Amino acid sequence: MKVCIPGAGVWARGISGFADLRQLARGGELPDVEFSAPKPEAISARERRRAGLTINLAVAVAHEACEVAGVDKAQVPSVFASAMGDTEITDYMCRKLCQGEKLLSPTKFHNSVHNAPSGYWSISAENRAPSTFVAGYRESFGAGMLEAVSQMQATQQPVLLVAYDIQDQAPLEHVTPIAQSLACALVIAPEGWAQTHTGALTNCAEIALVAGEVVADSPQAPGLVELAGGNPMGIGLTLLERLVAVQDGGAVEAQIRVPAAGRLWLDVRLGPGPSV
Amino acid sequence: MVFVNQLTLTSALGAGMDSMRESLRDERSGLTDRGWPGSDVECFLGIADIPSELCVPAQRESRNNRLVEYALQQDGFIDHVAACVSKHGADRVGLVMGSSTSSVDRTEQAYAAMLEDQGEPAFADHFVQPETHNPHAPGDYAALRLGIAGPCMTISAACASSAKVFAVAQRWLDQGWVDAVVVGGADSLCLSVIYGFHSLQLIAASPCRPFSPDRQGISLGEAAGFALLSTEPAQVQLLGVGESCDAYHMSSAHPEGLGATLSMQRALQAAGLTIDDIDYVNLHGTGTRANDETEARACSGMAGENTLFSATKGWTGHALGAAGIVESVLSINALLTGFVPGTMNTEQCEPELPVMLESQQRQISTVLSNSFGFGGNNCSVVFGQS
Repeated sequence: MKVCIPGAGVWARGISGFADLRQLARGGELPDVEFSAPKPEAISARERRRAGLTINLAVAVAHEACEVAGVDKAQVPSVFASAMGDTEITDYMCRKLCQGEKLLSPTKFHNSVHNAPSGYWSISAENRAPSTFVAGYRESFGAGMLEAVSQMQATQQPVLLVAYDIQDQAPLEHVTPIAQSLACALVIAPEGWAQTHTGALTNCAEIALVAGEVVADSPQAPGLVELAGGNPMGIGLTLLERLVAVQDGGAVEAQIRVPAAGRLWLDVRLGPGPSV
Repeated sequence: MVFVNQLTLTSALGAGMDSMRESLRDERSGLTDRGWPGSDVECFLGIADIPSELCVPAQRESRNNRLVEYALQQDGFIDHVAACVSKHGADRVGLVMGSSTSSVDRTEQAYAAMLEDQGEPAFADHFVQPETHNPHAPGDYAALRLGIAGPCMTISAACASSAKVFAVAQRWLDQGWVDAVVVGGADSLCLSVIYGFHSLQLIAASPCRPFSPDRQGISLGEAAGFALLSTEPAQVQLLGVGESCDAYHMSSAHPEGLGATLSMQRALQAAGLTIDDIDYVNLHGTGTRANDETEARACSGMAGENTLFSATKGWTGHALGAAGIVESVLSINALLTGFVPGTMNTEQCEPELPVMLESQQRQISTVLSNSFGFGGNNCSVVFGQS
């Protein structure tokens, strides 16, 4: 299936948006800084504090991808994907429930649903289009991408994909280790979208579902390798890096193998960017 | 066109379709006041009685996976899927699960055991189960158990989770990603949900009474259910799914029922029908003051002249992430058997929406099932006689 990728958003340690990732992909160095949480302006400071990291990450990259793509934030359907969801809240609730009184914060409880970032996004964008949350554990990025592509094919409209996982702490870090917090978002649009809109990152991507044993691709820039390695959503960074490469004209075509479920993977081929 | 080829449900109404039908016929609610280990919240629960001897592999051990296993063992479902897999090939059969709790029951236990030890913050060895302590655990377990190797994912959109699975399956079949799809839902009772809803003051001390003017809140439940969908003709057809967001509040529904209305309208549009064509609507009907009021407003604005409305959470409890599959099965069962369930426990209804109190035996040809969740996530599913 042929698609167009009009926009992307990203946040990780040392990366505060797609422009930063572009610099890294072009050979820039990953700044030696601590991870800092995004502060998406689309939600109030009070809400941001109540929301927690997964929500702030997801909402920040969702808005960025839509802005880069120039799609209508109030109309675009969305797919959120995460391997583990909000492990800070899982940890909070499980600890509280071991105590005598078991008093949970009502805000933390309603934020514990895995579609909480989707809820905050829809409120912040005043968006009443369908929105979903997809999990596929280690293959969550591919599962989310499959769902986004399938929705796009059904509606022939752009669909927003938002993928994130946060670093976990003991005891969960010994069970389901995630070393780095990371979020990335893509707007995936039908092939013909680029004919009526300008500025797409690439208007020539092809995605196919293939069966067989694969090893997920990794980024090439050393800084991105480090960030991508410790997070199931690292494959998203690989995809964005290759997107920059084909856009810059350094690669005629790039292939990214995205594990989607068991022996199934998405074969994503990015063609030359619109400027070439 | 997408058809419902097989169906099974395990809930507080019993294990498998025959037990469910017996409970329906006997007008027997599954709600009980026998309580939950570790909980002192005064409430009624819809508990699925899982046999203690039932086994799942140690790496997958959790109440939620045991509930999945128990449900899969009913109605010959495993054999039906095996036949489907051998016909089409394992890669050509997909699985979409809906779950909100996943196996968090097991994560709670792992923490409890860890904190009692007072040692290093680490799970005891038998709790180190990466495939189980994650949101995809029920989808992963069901696919493993059924030998499915096609696309597989778990939708987690709170109480709309296992209604949305039908939308995914319909797209996969329409677009030719697969030849058949198992859809399902599984949520199990655990302290997180009991104390979570308690913190929001939404749990009724008595059995829930959806749409009753004196309703006091929800009764929680647990369930697992599955359907096998394909393009192979069967008596019941999936006609359309509608999805929407409220874009209003994380845990309160839009006061005018805007998202609920959009969800129903989109489902009807997808099915090529109007509300007048719908014989029966299975409401989300949780029994909280605000939710039922909102849904009544949304439905009264579009009620067809002969449409029957009822809410069935007084029978099963609110199975949260499994509510979509529970109520889809009850709705499909109404198409198959003509048994249209009444609004159990409710003796008088809100004037805004005259819900059906007593069950009825009536031949019906189309049903719509509503599922609305936290995050303002809404889904409506329409089924009909082929």
